[in-house]
Amino acid sequence: MKALILVGGFGTRLRPLTLSVPKPLVDFANKPMILHQIEALRDVGVTEVVLAINYQPEVMLNFLKDFEAKLGIKITCSQETEPLGTAGPLALARDKLIDGSGEPFFVLNSDVISEYPFDELIKFHKSHGGEATIMVTKVDEPSKYGVVVMEEETGKVDRFVEKPKIFVGNKINAGIYLLNPSVLDRIELRPTSIEKEVFPQIAADKELFAMVLPGFWMDVGQPKDYITGLRLYLNSLRKRSPSKLASGAHIVGNVLVHETAVIGEGCLIGPDVAIGPGCVVESGVRLSRCTVMRGARVKKHSCISSSIIGWHSTVGQWARVENMTILGEDVHVCDEIYSNGGVVLPHKEIKSSILKPEIVM
Amino acid sequence: MAGLDPPPSSLSLSLSSPPQALEIHPFESPSSSSSSIFTFHPSHLIFSHLEFTQFSVIPCSFKAMGSSEERVVAVIMVGGPTKGTRFRPLSLNVPKPLFPLAGQPMVNHPISACRRIPNLAQVYLIGFYEEREFALYVSAISNELRVPVRYLREDKPRGSAGGFYSFRNYIMEDSPSHIFLLNCDVCCSFPLPEMLDAHKSYGGMGTILVIKVSAESAHQFGELVADPDTKELLHYAEKPETFVSDLINCGVYVFTPNIFAAIEEAIVERRGKAELRRITSFEALQSATKAIPADYVRLDQDILSPFAGKKEFYTYETLDFWEQIKTPGMSLKCSALYLHQFRYTSPQLLANANDAKGATIIGDVYIHPSAKVHPTAKVGPNVSISANARIGAGVRLISCIILDDVEVLENAVVIHSIVGWKSSIGKWSRVQGEGDCNAKLGITILGESVAVEDEVVVINSIVLPNKTLSVSVQEEIIL
Repeated sequence: MKALILVGGFGTRLRPLTLSVPKPLVDFANKPMILHQIEALRDVGVTEVVLAINYQPEVMLNFLKDFEAKLGIKITCSQETEPLGTAGPLALARDKLIDGSGEPFFVLNSDVISEYPFDELIKFHKSHGGEATIMVTKVDEPSKYGVVVMEEETGKVDRFVEKPKIFVGNKINAGIYLLNPSVLDRIELRPTSIEKEVFPQIAADKELFAMVLPGFWMDVGQPKDYITGLRLYLNSLRKRSPSKLASGAHIVGNVLVHETAVIGEGCLIGPDVAIGPGCVVESGVRLSRCTVMRGARVKKHSCISSSIIGWHSTVGQWARVENMTILGEDVHVCDEIYSNGGVVLPHKEIKSSILKPEIVM
Repeated sequence: MAGLDPPPSSLSLSLSSPPQALEIHPFESPSSSSSSIFTFHPSHLIFSHLEFTQFSVIPCSFKAMGSSEERVVAVIMVGGPTKGTRFRPLSLNVPKPLFPLAGQPMVNHPISACRRIPNLAQVYLIGFYEEREFALYVSAISNELRVPVRYLREDKPRGSAGGFYSFRNYIMEDSPSHIFLLNCDVCCSFPLPEMLDAHKSYGGMGTILVIKVSAESAHQFGELVADPDTKELLHYAEKPETFVSDLINCGVYVFTPNIFAAIEEAIVERRGKAELRRITSFEALQSATKAIPADYVRLDQDILSPFAGKKEFYTYETLDFWEQIKTPGMSLKCSALYLHQFRYTSPQLLANANDAKGATIIGDVYIHPSAKVHPTAKVGPNVSISANARIGAGVRLISCIILDDVEVLENAVVIHSIVGWKSSIGKWSRVQGEGDCNAKLGITILGESVAVEDEVVVINSIVLPNKTLSVSVQEEIIL
């Protein structure tokens, strides 16, 4: 089976992290975001993944070389020379997705984190025999999104309503699809929206079905949702493989610690914390609801909450970092500094406190 | 203001052929540490489009020649990527020395000034950028200006004198009698031949370019006290807290080769101190604060200051303009200063205000030959428009830098702003800065490929590359 992951563009909402690497390579729960999806696809029998990209292809290709062998799955790139929207890239990658076997192929939005129940998706798709299946997820405020109006029992999709003013349903497009090769005949090689142009056509032909996504769902394309997404992910990990989470007297709630990370004495870590490879957390540190990325060092007696600490950064002794502080790559917060929502671009030193949310260039 | 001095043997040459076809390589770094992407295009150099009336020809072998044995080498310090965070967001796309001021890369201005030095043998650019970021530029500028320019990369920080010292073998290759040292991010008239003459008359080891500033602002710089008659440097203080002098260090120097011996002395002395630190336990405790490594030598604190009053260093005062180009706001101001200077040194570069067929031109304006400006547009003062930009009908541009491939649609207004490469400014939209070049959000800066939609207003804001603004913003940084 094949899969296409829509990686798209510049990841500007995840800056400053995306000033250092393209968005799919930003770590989430100690792994590049896209790796979560690629591994789940491999586990369900996908043999080739095509990445639809339009930015920094050479960085992605270097990454692929490292991982292809390790993962045991073929990874290729399909590069857009102009942005093709959410459906155009499928037409561009047509030759890679159709292998003559008639098997359906997956299409994923790269920002989406979930449990990826691809087995169940395949079963449902085969059972209804329609041309396309999309996964939907229930949300509290559907009018912020595009709502999928469907028959509850069969899952047959009636129509899409973009940001509805009155309540028409509470299921939105989760960005995970399983499509028959015939869908490609409906897509032209031009900037096209899959939600606005392609799916409504398929729905009109009564060939589009929706499946409610079990488990959690999050679009982690911006820092606030990234932090919420980590909580949901770790929660799910607790249910599926609790042994992967850290335990001990200094751990509270769900905490993921990479095996090469080092944690000192007298710390209190958690809930909802991910500590990446090679990180050093010195003694007396309090971490909650945060991500510490590869190679970062958190010095003694400091306190970090609801923040993201970028690769190879340092947080100084007695520093307090909170309220959606995002440190880019190689940022050094000096001792005793307070950061309240500072968003700091890479290669900076923070020598004076940031008292209210501010971007530091 | 000095123009182009006619050298002893001059040749009249017309360079009206198009720039040589050079391969354009997008410089994209695969590693994550420096994400700047810059494509240098020969059109960034404008000289080949224009006629020069006189300049001295250096034979193809680029070896020193001429009647005198007094060869001169110029060294321009260009800095590096992680050092220049104050120049963001522009430095996210281009190394600061290559950012255009008055239509030419920043480092062109000191290099062009070096060409006026008699018997110039070589220009070295020394910095921390990767070689490939300067390779294309150096090859193009050497060809265009007929001056050998070479980029040398520093491997680690050694201070302003240490870096210079570490390349002394290259610098001394041509056995120069004098060596100029300039900082790339200095904006001034570079009176280099006059400085050299003064230096020769003083007979010391070095001469420093100085300028008088207001007493209130002097503390931001290195303050010097000079003897009013002999012009000797009597005292030097770097960014002092109390007032020392209103005469400050411009960052332009000329030395005789024995400067290297002086730097070496300072390195040896520093190594001695470092040894002492290891021996004495009290000194070892001091290592809580950052200990400066042994071969890190700063020109100002470690050479000029100790040698002051010993009849080795002298000063040459400039009465022209002087600014430091540390931030994008200052680059806008300095672009205007250079545009103004073009009136005297290269008036042919400025847009012709009397061209009836063209757009209305006010004050000093530079328009690249490949840019298109609609006749109903009004441009200036202090506007620089780069290659392939398109300025639509009824557009008003005041005090701004419009970079390559920008499209400004009909009736838009751009004031006190820098519009990044490939950006587009929508119809009737307004992109404006207050004009305070020193404030953090004093001008508006649009990064590469920013789209401002029709009728949107952007005021005193900074927008990072690849964003689209569909609603108006004020006083914001948009990542």
